[in-house]
Amino acid sequence: MDKSSYTAEDFVCDESFRNYCLGSDETAVQFWKTWIQDHPGKAEEVSEAQRLFSILNARQGNVQEQLDQLKDGILRFDMLKATIGEAGEDRSERRRERAGGEVDPNDGRVDRGDKRAKWEVGWRYGMGIAAALLVVAAAVWLLVPVKQTPPDRRTAYEIRSGVEPRKTVVLPDGSVVTLHSNTTLRLAEGFGRSGRELTLSGEALFDIAHGGDHPFIVHTSTIDVEVLGTLFNLNAYPQMGYTEASLFRGKIAVSLKDHPEKKMVLTPSQKSVVFNRGNIVSPDVVADSVLKKVSLSVDPVDHKAKEIAWVRNRIRIEDEPLASIAARLQGWYGIPIVFTDNEVKTYRYSGTFESETVVKALEALQLSYPFNFRVERDTIIIGK
Amino acid sequence: MTEEEQNRVYWEGLRKGDKESFFSLYNNIYFHLVRWGLKITADDELVKDCVTQLFFQLWDKRHRLNPVDNVRAYLFTSLRRMLIEQLGRYSKVDAAITQLADEEVLNELSYEEIIVGVQRDEELRQKLHRALQQLSPRQIELIRLVFFEGLTYEEVAARTSQSIKTAYNTIYNAMQVLRRLLK
Repeated sequence: MDKSSYTAEDFVCDESFRNYCLGSDETAVQFWKTWIQDHPGKAEEVSEAQRLFSILNARQGNVQEQLDQLKDGILRFDMLKATIGEAGEDRSERRRERAGGEVDPNDGRVDRGDKRAKWEVGWRYGMGIAAALLVVAAAVWLLVPVKQTPPDRRTAYEIRSGVEPRKTVVLPDGSVVTLHSNTTLRLAEGFGRSGRELTLSGEALFDIAHGGDHPFIVHTSTIDVEVLGTLFNLNAYPQMGYTEASLFRGKIAVSLKDHPEKKMVLTPSQKSVVFNRGNIVSPDVVADSVLKKVSLSVDPVDHKAKEIAWVRNRIRIEDEPLASIAARLQGWYGIPIVFTDNEVKTYRYSGTFESETVVKALEALQLSYPFNFRVERDTIIIGK
Repeated sequence: MTEEEQNRVYWEGLRKGDKESFFSLYNNIYFHLVRWGLKITADDELVKDCVTQLFFQLWDKRHRLNPVDNVRAYLFTSLRRMLIEQLGRYSKVDAAITQLADEEVLNELSYEEIIVGVQRDEELRQKLHRALQQLSPRQIELIRLVFFEGLTYEEVAARTSQSIKTAYNTIYNAMQVLRRLLK
């Protein structure tokens, strides 16, 4: 039977047409692509046949398209790994250089008989309550419950890292995202099909797939980030008091949730910092520092930005008050940390460490300037 | 070589870091996994996303994978676990469901439940539901084998002890009915 007299029923009953729909047979795919192009008059019958097929096939999808997306994701993932570098560089070498001639009695590896606890301790206690922009007030974060419409997941699709220090996933559009611990990504309805929007709570490194008809938009509680093919890190832990978007490649536009007209376009090696409302001390500060643009803090030794040190499996602290360090440890390890003393919060430390437990991290901090801490149930309490 | 033997070869390739083996394995098993997933939940997007995620994880930990005797069974179990975990997240009675699923008490969805369930449009759901009632059980069974399981007419004929011509005609007639009712 001549295919040009085919009806929708004929198409859908044709084995090779079905293989074309499934993407399971290269020859069939090539044939039908060409044939459909050459017979525009049959477009209506063909699309009716495709519709019928998709219904009866229960939307199993097209294996070729799915495979292409996976290939793209894998490619990005391998590139991402190459970009951020893998652990295992010569740490002692770096530490010596970083010390930069400063005499630091505590510089050195703390080895307590545990070979796996590779410490890189170089804590420097810095006095001075210098204009501490980061007033990390214990932000009261009201956990807004996700609108539950189970079991229909089409409303949203959630990915959580939980206590895992890092979790990498490939999104339906081929973008690769590495989640820090205690991070949640919620994909909006129809992600990858009718749009590319998602919501982030926590921290993640994004390598966004190019193209697509839809811009890639990340929402956080304070800002929206719009992307067109790029590599960037977004730090938006609700309890942190600020939201940071750091750009490594491509271009992103950051806008304030409350004031969408306040938009800022970032170019590579720049980051935007937004201080959450409620954590800003005085109204004067609000005007200037609501949305700030600053350069990335690049490590002089390995030339990698400290903003993504977490992907490389370590926490890097540069002259930060203990309050903000505690907030980071809290995010990293997923355990609440509270203070019983205000002065301790302002103690400042610097250093980089890779560690197995939060307790060991705090012990290392104690070495350079003492404070006390104890673990009670599931909370760490820091005092003088 | 049977499909499972091929899978085992690809698996070994994957463990050595061979991308081509990895993609071939995906090609070989994609529809099996999607169908298996759909029998657990009629949410095609979740199923497809989980299949992608599953393969992504395989690639990520390729050097740590152990040899397995039955690749398909291994992947089926992994997918099932992923789906149950995701479904639990969206259900108010998550704990109960997860527990049920662990005990394998969950019933597999039937073909009709699946194809109606994956439709997002409520009107189409209703139409499809009504249309299926107009078909004979034998027509539905043949449609399932051809459209869902992806069998050829030849395979269907062999399995249902009838001629290829009869199998074709049965399905053709069903398509005419469906096309009219699903307008």
